[in-house]
Amino acid sequence: MPGEADFVCLRCGAHFKMPYEESEGPKERACPECKSNSVRRVKEKK
Amino acid sequence: MMDAGRHPRIELLSNSEVTKVKGYVGNFTVTVKRKARYVDEKECTACNECVEVCPVAVPDEYQQGFSSRKAIYIPFPQSVPSSFIIDMESCLGNNPIACGKCLEACDKNCIDFDDQDRFVDLEVGTIICATGMDVYDPTEIVEYGYRRYENVITSMEFERLICASGPTEGHFMRPSDQKRPLRIGFIQCVGSRSEKRGVAYCGNICCMNTIKDTLLLADHYPDTESKVFYMDIRAFGKGFEDLYRRSKEAGAQYIRGLPGEIVEDPKSKNLVVRVENTTAGRLEEHELDMVVLAVGVIPRHDAPVMRQLLTLSKTADGFLMESHPKLKPVDAPSRGVFFAGCAEYPKDVKDSVTQASAAAARAGILLSQGKVCIEAITSRIDGDLCIYCGRCAKVCPYNAITAPDRKKKQLPIVIEAACAGCGTCAAECPTDAITMKHFTDEQILAQIEAYLAEDPEDQIIIFACNWCSYPGSDLAGTSRLQYPTHGRVIRTMCSGRVAEKFVLRAFELGAPIVLVSGCHFSDCHYISAVQWTQRRIEKLWEKMEKLGIRPERLQLEWISAAQGQKWAEVQRSLEELRKKVTKEEIGETRRILAQERARKEKKAKGRPKAGAVASEQE
Repeated sequence: MPGEADFVCLRCGAHFKMPYEESEGPKERACPECKSNSVRRVKEKK
Repeated sequence: MMDAGRHPRIELLSNSEVTKVKGYVGNFTVTVKRKARYVDEKECTACNECVEVCPVAVPDEYQQGFSSRKAIYIPFPQSVPSSFIIDMESCLGNNPIACGKCLEACDKNCIDFDDQDRFVDLEVGTIICATGMDVYDPTEIVEYGYRRYENVITSMEFERLICASGPTEGHFMRPSDQKRPLRIGFIQCVGSRSEKRGVAYCGNICCMNTIKDTLLLADHYPDTESKVFYMDIRAFGKGFEDLYRRSKEAGAQYIRGLPGEIVEDPKSKNLVVRVENTTAGRLEEHELDMVVLAVGVIPRHDAPVMRQLLTLSKTADGFLMESHPKLKPVDAPSRGVFFAGCAEYPKDVKDSVTQASAAAARAGILLSQGKVCIEAITSRIDGDLCIYCGRCAKVCPYNAITAPDRKKKQLPIVIEAACAGCGTCAAECPTDAITMKHFTDEQILAQIEAYLAEDPEDQIIIFACNWCSYPGSDLAGTSRLQYPTHGRVIRTMCSGRVAEKFVLRAFELGAPIVLVSGCHFSDCHYISAVQWTQRRIEKLWEKMEKLGIRPERLQLEWISAAQGQKWAEVQRSLEELRKKVTKEEIGETRRILAQERARKEKKAKGRPKAGAVASEQE
């Protein structure tokens, strides 16, 4: 099963989960709310 | 194939594998692993004596496992060269004491158990990639019972069963009882056009293959009843509609609807197909003697290896991506590499031959000219500034920069014949040692400064790539789409050229919002350069956050040349974001970045220098 990560849209501020694998390279992502590609992964704070 | 094998200027290297490709257009060195065949292909006359004595029988891959072959065999009747090969994994004779019967039977002493794999280097000017495709394995579609029910077969297996050179010599029979089936069902789109199982795209060849199969059956066995279960028949090529009409006239029934289930009668081994006939609007059951699954087409399992060897990219479907879908449909993004056949996308024989002819012609043009015209937009490395970090060589999507060697004081070298001018190297260089001709740092910074010279808080700086986003903006304009006019566009060849310093300079000069815009990942005109753009923007977001600048002020969008509407929508969204950036926030950002720049300049003064200008002129 592919892993998931939290993402935030830097356009509309929506928070959502998307498939994410650390080992894989960058992927084209879009916000499910506003369709913007300004999507940033929310890293877990250590 | 025979013609190619006999042609004086064509050298066929069968049973071989490309292991390495070095160089660039006009100067490729291809390393080929010539696998051991254990039979002298020049001496072997295919007399068959060895086959008769070989005690090992394994399933014949060419006959889809319906018959067996020996460990010493000819892969298929028309294979070139027409000589035997030993499948060493199955053979007992690796130790001649154990068997060696073929060795004894061969009067011409063609068999050599000590044969070894050999590596040969070929110097070539161009490469045509015609590596083909694989077919979908329908086992995962459990409701169709492939591998569970003997009389459910794939279209590839059908081909062997009805072929005169097949395991039954063309006497069509069903696997369970070797009787001739009288009622045959064909199920279309198995593993194609499905988001859940198989692939989302159309297999392109399955409809016409099934139509041909129904005609073959009608021709060979007129009393056979054929039923085709389909979503929609795609008979789009020359003469195809006529073939479809002939199939229906010959008696084939076309039932619109894909079956939900196949159930086998354990005694008779007949199959009951349950389907919703969407034309009639009712659920139906059809009892059949045999079902043929028209399986889809998928990229070759080893396609990633080929992509890595030839520095190629793939489409979202996994097939090799062409340089341009309309203007350069047979060219790879790497110069001097061309495509033919299903490696690029599923296609039938006619289209494959057409593309192969075009690829041969394109390669011939390059070879006959003896020289290539290269882009004027290439990168140049300043040896005085280079610190041998090798970042440029790592990020180049074309492998056009040789890796530097710090110990030997060997600078990276730009192979201009291979450089396509994306500018990713220049954007990633930590010491500004790379100049991108025609898109220099000075030129781009001058545009930023000019745009932000007056009322910077009213301007949105937009970096748009030459191939997709910039034409996308053009389309929005020519379509007369209405959107706010605060955007100031700076064109770069690729979004990969947009260096961190451009973005930070724009913020330092007072830009409230910056947009970096490029091609969609599947459309990237520089193989994978767009991925480096994304990595860089993600780093920039982190950096901005650490510096105390809101990351939301740096936006990223992938806009294609056809997305004028998206361009206009993005402009409207950016305008909303711009309005939320206050003058105080802009002032604070300017102060932070001015401090940051001063700190960097101080640090740069102590940096070591090396070498001279390095750029190999090809």
